[in-house]
Amino acid sequence: MATTQDDLSLTFAALADPTRRAILARLAQGEATVKELAEPFALSLPGVSKHLKVLQRAGLISQGRKAQWRPCRLEPAPLHAVDDWVDRYRHLWEERFDRLDEYLRELQQEENDGPDDPPSAHDGDPHGRPA
Amino acid sequence: MTVTRTDDPPELVMERAFAAPRALVWRAFTEPERVARWWAPRPWTTPICRIDLRPGGEWRYCMRGPNGEESWGKATYLEIVPPERLVFTDEFTDADGNRNEELPTLHETVTFVEHDGATTVTFRSRYASVADRDRVAAMGMIEGFGMALDQLAEELAAA
Repeated sequence: MATTQDDLSLTFAALADPTRRAILARLAQGEATVKELAEPFALSLPGVSKHLKVLQRAGLISQGRKAQWRPCRLEPAPLHAVDDWVDRYRHLWEERFDRLDEYLRELQQEENDGPDDPPSAHDGDPHGRPA
Repeated sequence: MTVTRTDDPPELVMERAFAAPRALVWRAFTEPERVARWWAPRPWTTPICRIDLRPGGEWRYCMRGPNGEESWGKATYLEIVPPERLVFTDEFTDADGNRNEELPTLHETVTFVEHDGATTVTFRSRYASVADRDRVAAMGMIEGFGMALDQLAEELAAA
C-alpha cells in the first residue's frame, strides 16, 4: 500500500492524542455511534465529533450517514503503514524460538556431558562404576 | 524462521528447524518446567506454567515482564498425537482464568517433523475471522503507539 509522507503525518497526529487512541481502541471492539463513543469521556457531542473528524481525515475511521446515530467503524489500513504487525509478531516468535533453540542445545549438551562427569564426592556412582 | 500470513483461512504460520531430535522437542513443548524455560520472549519470564496434557486438559501460564506486568494465558488441548502434533485453543485470561473478552481466541496447531536428526516445528495460529485478526492487530498497534509516545515523553523529560 503506497503511503505518502503526508499520510503518515496525518496518522501520527491522529494517534498522538489519548482520547483519540481510546476511541480507536473502543472501535477496535466493534462499531459504535457518536453518542456511544462520547459517553466514557463526558465530552459533548461536538467535542467528540472534533476528534472523529481528525480520525476520519487520517482514514482511521469511516462513518455511516445518519447524523448522531451514524455508526463509526475502525479502518485499520493506515495503522498497518505505521507498524507492520506481522513484523512485531515475527519478532515475538523469533525471540521465543531463539530461546527454545538455546534450551534444546543446553539439554543435549547436558546429556552428552553426563557419562563423562568426574566421580562425585558421595559413595557409589549412578552409572554403576566402582567409586 | 519463516512467517506466512493468509487471509483464507486467517492464519499466521511460523516455521523453524531445530538441531534436536523430535522426542526432545516434544518434551520441550509438553513438560511444564521445560515450556517455562523458553515460552516468554526475553526479558519476560514464565513464573507460572501448569500443563494437564490430555484432550480437554488445560495449559495455564503467566508471563511476567521486566516491570512486573503480567500476561495470563489458557490453552485447552483438542488433539495430542505424540510426538507429531498438538492442537489447542489459546486465549488471554486474567489471573483467575476468566477469558479476556476483548481479545479473540486462537486455534493453534503445532506439528513436529524430524529429518536427519533435526526437527521442523510448524506453529499455525488461526483466528476465527479476518475481522478478529485485524482487531487484535489494531489494538496491539494502538497500545504500542501509546507506549512509544509515553517512552518518548519520558526521554524528553529526562534530557
